[in-house]
Amino acid sequence: MIRRALRLVGRQMNVQLRIRTFNLYSSLLFFLQPAIFSGVGMILSRAAGNEKPDLVYMVIGGGLLGMWSGMVFTSTFDIGRDRRDGMLELIVASPTSLGTVEAIRTLTNVLAGLVSMLAAFLVAMLIFDYSLADADIPGVVISLIMILFGIWAMGVFLANFTVWSRVSGSYVEFLEIPIPLLCGFMYPLGILPVWMQTLSAVIPIRWALEALNGALLGKQSMAFLLSHWGMALLLSLIFWGLSRWLEGKVHDRIRVTGEMSSI
Amino acid sequence: MKRLIVRYLRLYIIQAWFAYRALFAWSTPFNYFVSKFGFHFFSMIMFVFIGKFVGLTDPVYIVIGNILLLPSGTCLSGISMTVGNERQFGAMSYLLGSPAPRAPIFLGRALFHILDSFVTIAIALPVTIWFFHFDMTNTNFFLVLLCVFITSFTTSGMGFIMGSISLVNRDGWMITSTLSLSLYILAGANFPVASLPAFLQVVSYSLPMTRGIMAARAALDGANWAAIAPLVFGEIAMGLIYIAVGYAMFRLLERQSMVSGVLDNL
Repeated sequence: MIRRALRLVGRQMNVQLRIRTFNLYSSLLFFLQPAIFSGVGMILSRAAGNEKPDLVYMVIGGGLLGMWSGMVFTSTFDIGRDRRDGMLELIVASPTSLGTVEAIRTLTNVLAGLVSMLAAFLVAMLIFDYSLADADIPGVVISLIMILFGIWAMGVFLANFTVWSRVSGSYVEFLEIPIPLLCGFMYPLGILPVWMQTLSAVIPIRWALEALNGALLGKQSMAFLLSHWGMALLLSLIFWGLSRWLEGKVHDRIRVTGEMSSI
Repeated sequence: MKRLIVRYLRLYIIQAWFAYRALFAWSTPFNYFVSKFGFHFFSMIMFVFIGKFVGLTDPVYIVIGNILLLPSGTCLSGISMTVGNERQFGAMSYLLGSPAPRAPIFLGRALFHILDSFVTIAIALPVTIWFFHFDMTNTNFFLVLLCVFITSFTTSGMGFIMGSISLVNRDGWMITSTLSLSLYILAGANFPVASLPAFLQVVSYSLPMTRGIMAARAALDGANWAAIAPLVFGEIAMGLIYIAVGYAMFRLLERQSMVSGVLDNL
């Protein structure tokens, strides 16, 4: 049973990495776009008279932006491509559910996005002499896992959500930057107006990211970290639950209409 | 001569009209607004908050700069997509086989993008000025609009070059997106070009938009024609060079295609 599941995951990840995840456009999302945003941040920081940019937000935040953008574009465009290529019906008709396929695909996309985060850490450490001496390393690792889980849960939700609509590509335009904007990928949340901070409270990544920044700076208490991990986990599970519910709805709809291409 | 000019103008306008009608990516108002404002609007807000975080108290420079940068979405990406999609939609063979002169066909693809870009900024700029209570006592509106129109026109040159590249390269869209993103740093939208390292300043001044944005900012601050004329003429010259290069690339690819069929093989 476990061996069979692992075989499915391995094969699906292999196909996803070869066909969808790694291409030139992904390199733009993983590396170039974060570099541009980080570059703007650093030049603005210098223009404001700061000697050194804030590396946690400007560089590592940029890496997180790349991870998020890569996942959003790949996961949502997967559905569009399946629909266009006539694959969606075949996947739905296969013994493996569409939800499982989407979950593995999204996991692959999120894990692939780690290269963006890794590149950001390397840039911060090798070019800007960023040190992890003060950082709470176990806290950083757990926060990163929470961020990955949060992005995955949102990715699976979005993948199922976009099955409903042909204009999923357009939704992506609306999602790519607003989530980093609300979650404070490149600045502390306190910068945002209160209503935006309230709005971001429903996004799991926001809590995990606050914990990550706290752990990297090494100034936050264990209670702070635990409460933020707890919130991130809870919200991720809610998104995952919603994905399961949506998946059922999608299957019901397919059984009624008999096809996906007309949606 | 007169008949030739009328023929070229007629073809140019007909091509522009058909290119406009074929903008399927904008087939609904939702798609139109999302594709035009989605990424650019939220990126601008993000840069404003980054600016606030690093200690910049006045967001107006960033906001105005990002609005003046809007042609990078419409004229650069839009024209690149319009030209590049000819092959994808299977229209390239018919286009190359037709006896029509190439200049109006090629250049006609840009007209509606230039107008759309101009109208977008002409609407977005006053809204922003009103929202941020920007002091407009000295602003020369005519010069601002002139700068905006010229910038929209000159940016189309980059669109033509990228469109031609898209015809022969499967990753043309990626190259266009890279250039479009780079403009956030290179065009002086978020900070003055002087803030860039010296070698990037050279790159910045060799691009369309840079001088146009500088001229529009100066006109907003109340500069007269004499003060911005060198920037405006520099912007026009840069735009004409890019348009000429884009057209030359298209003709070169067309000739190569007649020999090798390269455009249909991709």
